[in-house]
Amino acid sequence: MNPNRSFIVQLQILTKRMLLRVIRRPLAELPNLIISAFFLFVYDGALGGVFGGNASGTPFDFAKGNFINFILPVSIVSASLSGAASGIYLVEDIESGVFKRYQSMPISRWAIILAPMNVGALRVLLQSGLMLFIGIIIGADPVVGSIGYLVVLSIAFIWGMGFAGYSVAAGVKSGSSQGAQAATFLFFPAIFLAPTFVPREALKGWLETAAAYNPTTYVIEAMRAVMVDGWELDVLFRGYLAAGLFAALTLTLAVLSARKATEKA
Amino acid sequence: MLAVDVKNIKKTFISKQDTVEAVKDVSFQVKQGEIFGLLGPNGAGKSTTILMITTLLSITDGKASVLGIDVATKDKEVREKIGVALQDTGLDNLLTGKELFFTTCRLWGYSKKDSEVRTDELLELVGLTEAADRRVKTYSGGMKRRLDLGLSLVHSPKILFLDEPTTGLDPGSRRVLWDEIKRLRDNGVTIILTTQYLEEADELADRIAIIDEGLVVAEGTSDELKAGIGGDVITFAFENNVDLENAKNILKNTVQEKNELRITVEDGASKIPGYLKDLSSKGVEVSSVSASKPTLDDVFLEVTGYRLEGSEDIKQAKEESKR
Ligand SMILES: Nc1ncnc2c1ncn2[C@@H]1O[C@H](COP(=O)(O)OP(=O)(O)OP(=O)(O)O)[C@@H](O)[C@H]1O
Ligand SMILES: [Mg+2]
Repeated sequence: MNPNRSFIVQLQILTKRMLLRVIRRPLAELPNLIISAFFLFVYDGALGGVFGGNASGTPFDFAKGNFINFILPVSIVSASLSGAASGIYLVEDIESGVFKRYQSMPISRWAIILAPMNVGALRVLLQSGLMLFIGIIIGADPVVGSIGYLVVLSIAFIWGMGFAGYSVAAGVKSGSSQGAQAATFLFFPAIFLAPTFVPREALKGWLETAAAYNPTTYVIEAMRAVMVDGWELDVLFRGYLAAGLFAALTLTLAVLSARKATEKA
Repeated sequence: MLAVDVKNIKKTFISKQDTVEAVKDVSFQVKQGEIFGLLGPNGAGKSTTILMITTLLSITDGKASVLGIDVATKDKEVREKIGVALQDTGLDNLLTGKELFFTTCRLWGYSKKDSEVRTDELLELVGLTEAADRRVKTYSGGMKRRLDLGLSLVHSPKILFLDEPTTGLDPGSRRVLWDEIKRLRDNGVTIILTTQYLEEADELADRIAIIDEGLVVAEGTSDELKAGIGGDVITFAFENNVDLENAKNILKNTVQEKNELRITVEDGASKIPGYLKDLSSKGVEVSSVSASKPTLDDVFLEVTGYRLEGSEDIKQAKEESKR
């Protein structure tokens, strides 16, 4: 035997094993996909008629004639929250004792922790990509051209990894998969205390204030910029910054808590 | 060199609510090639002891080494040498047995090709070839334990730790596992196992340490332990309580077990007639009497003050009487 226990090989094997788990539970992917698609279809159905083409020439013409362009970012942000699965996967392994088994073997602890992060990232890309694809089919058309899709996906990816980190930290801290699951509750304030259905200018009072402090606001606005308004670099910058800071914060927390979880009691 | 050398290890769990001395003072030595049994009731500290020796839990105080390698400072090296099957087994229910073996082989560093070969070998060894392509979710308790054993053998460890390998299994499945464990020993593997079953310790272990409330209270081969009690156990059975109570006063130094009284004496068989004469002269009727060599059960009673079988109830009763 010529033992190959390089970090990369271990990470590969553990990621593959976790992917198998995901594939064998396809139904677990559905709820988040349905919610994301729901945003796209239901809000387009309900509001597209008012704020779409008909609004042209009125002060309500923030969608510039294509409401899909306007609402698609919400759907994609919602899809990116699927990254929160990372924490759930990790805590499942802690609960089932699989984690302990790996610890009793000469495996890098970073490989053990990064594998679910990898799978979370893949999930974010696939779910967001699928929403994007549906959006394109039903008429999305970014003003900056197809490169806009790349911008939207990249922001969604960073944002999704932020949620992955958050769920890992919350899951490990609570020590139960319910804890990790509860982390997805953050979804509600994140999505609804933001300029989800109308631009920020149209919000008023406390909601306007809340939205200003919600990083989701800047993420959605950056996506909307390339979809609806064009290259507004300051808006884009704020979007990447908000997503990046959020991800940096939660991933740091995730690493700290995971390191603690792998230490001996 | 000793396979395992444990010197006065101790584990104290400290949390906000309270402090638990799970292991107070445990020492034992395991020679290479033997099966060593840690026998004790629920909560005795067996798992905690195993976790400490297998590098999965830090040691509060004391020292432990495996093949001369210090567990605390060289945990990576120790992990290379040992196989571990823990009590709360971590099995991935969504994968098949074959996938689990293959993944584990790869993680130990085998190439893809070697992993395939090793997977087939191990499936065969633990008798899971037929079920190899089924998800672990569908395995019976016995199959899961065998899978768990197989997974701990992937890297052909010289030393194997099994925490309650047969708990919850029916007698048939238990026998299958026992045979497997003995075969491993015959192939030169040193095995440290924990159990709460007397007959398992008796049947499997070359040497036994009895552990109770975090302390080793007796150690030796099964025969040594039994001989340590000295003499034979005479058991008297009675039809009714009145006879039993009277007999208790007459015989002295007896231990009651339901409707039976036991007494441990040298050369038991020759003393029976004398006891019976004493009893019948006082009008006590004995329904049956027998003399036997002490069992491990008797040893357990002697060193801990209670019986292992049904010890849960007794401990519970103790707790309740404290309140
Ligand atoms: N992480 C922990 N924190 C606090 N107390 C613990 C912890 N782990 C074990 N204990 C306590 O230590 C004692 C010994 O536990 P241990 O699991 O070692 O017993 P055991 O002999 O393996 O019992 P069983 O036969 O039930 O498996 C118990 O009282 C248990 O409650
Ligand atoms: Mg135990």
